[in-house]
Amino acid sequence: MAASASAVRPARKPFGAWTAWLGLTPFFLFGLAFEFLPLLMVVQSSLTSKGSPTLEFYRQAMDPLFLRSFGNSIKLSATTATLGVVFGTLVAYAIITTRNGFVQNALTALSDVTTNFGGAPLAFAFIVILGSTGVITLILKQVGINLYPNFRIYSISGLTIAYLYFQLPLMILLIIPSLHGLKREWREAALNLGASTFRYWLEIALPILFPALMSGFLLLFANSFGAYATAWTLTGSDVDLITIRIAALIRGEVQLAPELADALSMMSLLIMAACVGGYLWLSNLSRRARQ
Amino acid sequence: MKQPRDLWRSVILGAFLIFMIVPVVATLIFSVSTRWDRSLWPEGYTLKWWIDVTSRPLFMLTLRNSFIASFATMLCLLVLVTPTAYWMKLKVERAKPIVELITSFSFGVPGVVLALALIRFYSNIPLPIVNHPAILVAACMVLSLPFMYRPILNALEAMDFRVLTEAAQSLGANGWSILTEVIIPNIMSGIISGCLLVFSTVFAEYTLTNLLVGTRFKTFPIYLVEWTRQDGRMASALAVISFVVAWITSLLIIWVTSKTGREAPHIAGR
Repeated sequence: MAASASAVRPARKPFGAWTAWLGLTPFFLFGLAFEFLPLLMVVQSSLTSKGSPTLEFYRQAMDPLFLRSFGNSIKLSATTATLGVVFGTLVAYAIITTRNGFVQNALTALSDVTTNFGGAPLAFAFIVILGSTGVITLILKQVGINLYPNFRIYSISGLTIAYLYFQLPLMILLIIPSLHGLKREWREAALNLGASTFRYWLEIALPILFPALMSGFLLLFANSFGAYATAWTLTGSDVDLITIRIAALIRGEVQLAPELADALSMMSLLIMAACVGGYLWLSNLSRRARQ
Repeated sequence: MKQPRDLWRSVILGAFLIFMIVPVVATLIFSVSTRWDRSLWPEGYTLKWWIDVTSRPLFMLTLRNSFIASFATMLCLLVLVTPTAYWMKLKVERAKPIVELITSFSFGVPGVVLALALIRFYSNIPLPIVNHPAILVAACMVLSLPFMYRPILNALEAMDFRVLTEAAQSLGANGWSILTEVIIPNIMSGIISGCLLVFSTVFAEYTLTNLLVGTRFKTFPIYLVEWTRQDGRMASALAVISFVVAWITSLLIIWVTSKTGREAPHIAGR
């Protein structure tokens, strides 16, 4: 009895602590087997050639061809993240300031649902409305606006619109808690002291929101940078994104160059991990500021 | 003063609603139209595409495969995560950073990179799981690990698990029956919303499936993408089914979590 009762207290003795860690063994083994060992192998293989260390594959990965793919991915991610942050914050602000409780709940729920959308069905939905014979394309043609051939849904600008479909709701969900943190009294105090609404936003609200906006940008950037299914369904290999290139190398469509795929993977992993790291750091900061 | 301010809000919210609703509704109408590529409105309505695409053997097979993958991932994660989270909270809180590094791995690693790493590692190891559905389930577990872990941890933190554990122990219960008879019933809402999140993630998963098992284990999204290349009208019916599955699981999640508090936004699988 006494022994079992002491087992539930937080273990302080070195022996107790050591056995307590053993309980996590299955979980750590899973992490090793399916996350860290495979990833380590990619790191190692990207840095070795015939048993000796080399940077050769990173030199190959710096080829203008691949740099263009990285550039496209970064441009697409930065664009959709910026638009997502700006319009997401605007919509979120409209949602939380509306006095209609039903509208508020319904739109929050809509964001909750649609941020899970993505991939093939979403891509196809956009072909239906914005493809060359899509319904929006036809309506615009009727009023004299010809989208095609200047715009194509199967291109980077088409992808931007499709990505916004999941970026906007994500930003809305991320920023709503921070917008709730803006106290009504701050605004009233500023206006009483003679500031305009514009100056209140510029000098008080936006600086307070800045860490939250920035962390939202980083998460949206990573969300778009790592995306593959939507782009692949919408454009096949037409659009030159880095995830599309890596996938093509994996399938051996282009050439069998596993080490090159390894090096490209490590570079995109670094970009994405930096964004997620920054997001975690900043969102911790703004969560602590709210408390 | 009030009128123009409310107008501004209605315009923003209206535009947002239209942007979010139109693609889904248009896909639904497209799937029941005879033709809708020359005129503003469909030229006629039919259920032909629905009947045609759902009566093919591949339809049931891919649907079944997606359910198998989703439920296998869900069960494996449940068995792996629940005892781990409980044990960690009870005995080794210090392990939390390492546990969370493992659970949030998929946030920082693109799907294509995860697929590449698994292929490279397991093709060098004499373990016949490359190209086998088992490696897909393992990859889907990595992908959806945070969605199982987070709700379960939140539910654990919301209950007095330490007092309940001590009470159960003083009544002579052993570790296993404490977990299954005391802890799990008390974190059921977390477990259910975790399972739903995992289900919706894996059911819609395309990247890992396509790269890891390809045509050997066709899932529903694979079937959908094949049709988008062949016949849009069939693809639209399949897309509507995906939307409906996603809507139902998301609404269930909202319903379950509305009783227990909000979860972090859920992102994956694109």
